[in-house]
Amino acid sequence: MNLTVNDVAHAIESAPLTTLLDVLREELEIMSPKPGCEQGGCGACTVLVDGTPQRACLTPVAALDGASITTVEGLGTPGAMSPVQQAFTHHYAAQCGYCTSGMMMAAKAYLDGGGTDDHHAIQEALAGHVCRCTGYVKIIAAVAAVARGDSFDLTVTAPSVGMVNVGGVS
Amino acid sequence: MKAVGARLPRYDGVAHATGRTVFVDDVRIPGALWVKALRSPVHRADITGLDVSKAEAMKGVRAVITWQDVPLLEYGHLSALGIPADEPLLAKDEVRYKGQPIALVAADDEDTAMAAVEAIEIDFDEKPALLDVRQAFDPDAPVIHQWGNWYPHFEAEMDRRQIRKGDIDRAFEQADVIVQGVYRPAAIEHVPVETQSCQVVPEANGRLTIYSCTQALYFSLGVVAAHLQVPLNKLKLVGGTVGGGFGGKVDTATETMCCLLAQKSGRPVRWRWTREEEFLCSSTRAPWHMEIADAVTNDGWILGRRMLTLHDSGAYARFSPYGLTKHSFHHTGAYTIPNLHFDGYVVFTNRVPTTAMRGFGVTSISFATETHMSRIADVLGLDPWEIRLKNANRIADTSPNGVSYTDPSTVSVVKALAEGIGVELSAALRAMTRDPREGDLLPEHLVAQVGSLEEVH
Repeated sequence: MNLTVNDVAHAIESAPLTTLLDVLREELEIMSPKPGCEQGGCGACTVLVDGTPQRACLTPVAALDGASITTVEGLGTPGAMSPVQQAFTHHYAAQCGYCTSGMMMAAKAYLDGGGTDDHHAIQEALAGHVCRCTGYVKIIAAVAAVARGDSFDLTVTAPSVGMVNVGGVS
Repeated sequence: MKAVGARLPRYDGVAHATGRTVFVDDVRIPGALWVKALRSPVHRADITGLDVSKAEAMKGVRAVITWQDVPLLEYGHLSALGIPADEPLLAKDEVRYKGQPIALVAADDEDTAMAAVEAIEIDFDEKPALLDVRQAFDPDAPVIHQWGNWYPHFEAEMDRRQIRKGDIDRAFEQADVIVQGVYRPAAIEHVPVETQSCQVVPEANGRLTIYSCTQALYFSLGVVAAHLQVPLNKLKLVGGTVGGGFGGKVDTATETMCCLLAQKSGRPVRWRWTREEEFLCSSTRAPWHMEIADAVTNDGWILGRRMLTLHDSGAYARFSPYGLTKHSFHHTGAYTIPNLHFDGYVVFTNRVPTTAMRGFGVTSISFATETHMSRIADVLGLDPWEIRLKNANRIADTSPNGVSYTDPSTVSVVKALAEGIGVELSAALRAMTRDPREGDLLPEHLVAQVGSLEEVH
């Protein structure tokens, strides 16, 4: 059983039905994917499997032999953050931070797939992710900013974002 | 003054964005045991038998604890304020809510811990449960708490939080209309995305290091020390990183039990609740039952309010007496009502104990009062904005508990609300201020309640 995680090859020792989440956290000690509900409902454990966002808590590792996994650790480091990470920082899109990893991985897949700054499309892309702190306005604003190609000044946060109606009610 | 008015980055923003924030369950401690709980499967029962010997004998099980392992079994969340305790850390003779912890296991791995919980033998004599506060006062209701069905330990051993202000009978005699309403906001689960989690390391020097997701580190320190009957300097709490709390991580839910397991096994232990446990038995925002009758005049003044509140505390008191006290002080909402007759009860039921959640005690009455203000406007055929602004708290008005307001914000908030949703207020309403009442805004019924600002300075 082999997995490539953030461009590093690993031979996996966990039992075949171990979830990808447990393999990442308990065997490889890659901690950004979070156990939130462990039943596919909250999105906090989302990672990219060959570029596609997937719930690590529902995925047995046996189904992934040879796959390439990307987690937040693979996006960038504090000294060299990727655009999604910069945007989440600048736009104040994380409060407690627990849903943030999953949110960013879903955002990364959306943007890699050519996603635009359309709020409804971003909302759709993040629909399986629960945030209980900030609400979703700033998260959506961060993703939209990356889609627009904004550059980010990380020494300040963004001006407050006006309430954007993303509920489909005009 | 570089920070005031500036848009500074969060101190933890980069750590969150790079996955480097260390939450409690992210701490890696070699050899840590997994913890699982045996919980009550029923709302209410007497425990007639409890045998953990088979669980203890299982391979890989390092410790099992029951009520017998707790040095001080009962310690209340308000004990430090002198309020008597009513809740055992682990159930002893009875269970009072579904999900109440009875015994805990620490084992080499999660599967073994779960199997050991299954191996604990327990016998129950199930009893009728009380699940609705409205039935708690019925003569034939089951008595489900050692103090009776409602909390009896307010000051002077009163069994309610009571407020009397002005002359309520006269207010109701003078009223043109009595407007009544019953408001029942439901329980709300906090649903932090991080479930309750804790890790404890028994250190070589005899101290316990506690990794805690609590919102109230020093509060938890006192609670753990009390149950364990150890001085505070035997405990080191490591916290400050909370994966969502919203009040649901104020109660000390996991730390004490993990400490007992760490002591008994001599090993580090790790407990992370499942989402099912979080929904089943973590504390919630309380459900409330509020009955309001207001004495009002045809021109939109509220002369008096009679109110009954039943605050569902769940099976134990925890913070509910405090929550109800806040509620009583705010029971007129953001408005000035000169004559009051309020009775509030902390009622026990066989629901999960309720607790703090974002303004607990106050959000319930804000919901009830605002709904009621609109109901009054409907009944009288008046503008709902006008009756809010007329009755709004102003400087020198007095609160239900007799405090003179020095900085009330009702008028500015109501006007901002109107603007925010595009309602054009009349010139007269736009001219409203929070300045002390005079002229038409100081009718005879409000004169006596106006306080002296000197008194509060």
